[in-house]
Amino acid sequence: MADVLSVGVNLEAFAQAISAIQALRSSVSRVFDCLKDGMQNKETLEGREKAFIAHFQDNLHSVNRDLNELERLSNLVGKPSENHPLHNSGLLSLDPVQDKTPLYSQLLQAYKWSNKLQYHAGLASGLLNQQSLKRSANQMGVSAKRRPKAQPTTLVLPPQYVDDVISRIDRMFPEMSIHLSRPNGTSAMLLVTLGKVLKVIVVMRSLFIDRTIVKGYNENVYTEDGKLDIWSKSNYQVFQKVTDHATTALLHYQLPQMPDVVVRSFMTWLRSYIKLFQAPCQRCGKFLQDGLPPTWRDFRTLEAFHDTCRQ
Amino acid sequence: SSVSQMPVAEGKSVQQTVELLTRKLEMLGAEKQGTFCVDCETYHTAASTLGSQGQAGKLMYVMHDSEYPLSCFALFENGPCLIADTNFDVLMVKLKGFFQSAKASKIETRGTRYQYCDFLVKVGTVTMGTSARGISVEVEYGPCVVASDCWSLLLEFLQNFLGSHTPGAPTVFGNRHDAVYGPADTMVQYMELFNKIRKQQQVPVAGIR
Repeated sequence: MADVLSVGVNLEAFAQAISAIQALRSSVSRVFDCLKDGMQNKETLEGREKAFIAHFQDNLHSVNRDLNELERLSNLVGKPSENHPLHNSGLLSLDPVQDKTPLYSQLLQAYKWSNKLQYHAGLASGLLNQQSLKRSANQMGVSAKRRPKAQPTTLVLPPQYVDDVISRIDRMFPEMSIHLSRPNGTSAMLLVTLGKVLKVIVVMRSLFIDRTIVKGYNENVYTEDGKLDIWSKSNYQVFQKVTDHATTALLHYQLPQMPDVVVRSFMTWLRSYIKLFQAPCQRCGKFLQDGLPPTWRDFRTLEAFHDTCRQ
Repeated sequence: SSVSQMPVAEGKSVQQTVELLTRKLEMLGAEKQGTFCVDCETYHTAASTLGSQGQAGKLMYVMHDSEYPLSCFALFENGPCLIADTNFDVLMVKLKGFFQSAKASKIETRGTRYQYCDFLVKVGTVTMGTSARGISVEVEYGPCVVASDCWSLLLEFLQNFLGSHTPGAPTVFGNRHDAVYGPADTMVQYMELFNKIRKQQQVPVAGIR
């Protein structure tokens, strides 16, 4: 009730203040009018000057008076919105037609929600920082700039070690042949041929897999100058889909301390595609869905699913 | 890929059945991609070269497929398949003394190519001379190079639009286990289909409606 009353008083003061502003404006414009008109015709020069100065003084006095009045009124109006937690938007609560425009309650909801979001994001970022899931120094973002020398030791493995790991994996799976080459310095590139089903180009950085592209067994994997073509995608929709899933797998198999285990897990997962065209979906029991065979392989069980049938 | 024959629907003409099939394909979401043509001409071993060893005259089939416009296929029944350049046709004219073209033996199938995902479907009308004799349906699944690997998958696709007329596995699928499928394998299937249709013509159909 008190609120409403004070609002009423304030409104009156507002009205007065507005008319005071109008008065001030007109008195100011009178000053300029007087200056514009200059000295009026009088008999003597002295008379002219006197009359002008008196007129000018009168005008300035009235400006002063109006200004004082406005200052007095502005103290009465006060600063009602300043203490509100939502600042000027708090004035929305004064809107009498709550039912039609529930802006204020919506605003409060949004404010609470964004507060909560900030809080949870803070917690999550704290937790995530404890787990070092980073695959390479590049992805460390801003913090990496401050300590640029902190490169993980797993990124500087000797090429001989990488060769050993790959050849051991090659021997592990008889239906999979891995051809290793180093066309650009120390980074290895693998051409994995899986049975007569597909070929995979794997771009490595030390023992980290940076990129994979899956293509058909009968598709060309070399560019015109005889290098491995690591950019173009397969012409077949099946293998484009499998490429997407393989990229997902790269992000799934993570163990920064043991990169060789990661590569082995990835290859084991990849090997399950030997039955790409022969395995029906474990969920719907069919081979085709939208013209595609089951392209997804579960990371744990290696069972075949359609992209939309997986949980 | 699998080549099979679709019987003409009861009470319908060849043309109407083809339209029925293509409409089904379009409903499935397949897109039209130009036309195709496969033709086949039969050659006899010339009488003059026979006799001495007492061997029976063999039939040779010379075929063309618009899918491989620069090639010409020469096949013996159950025998080897030769893939040559298109100039092979000129060579055949010069070999008149050994191989003679059988009269009015030319048989061909023409129709529309459809693409559905990685499937290539060709529905064609088989014609001998001027009359339409039947319908051919070829379904190719490009990503898979070993025919027996993807037969179940192909079968499921075929069932989708051929329904009860789904064919059995083509014999070339079983012949060479896990061998890479090639254009010659498709040609053999077309040759077998054409021979089947020719034989249907020789035996007069009893009780024509």
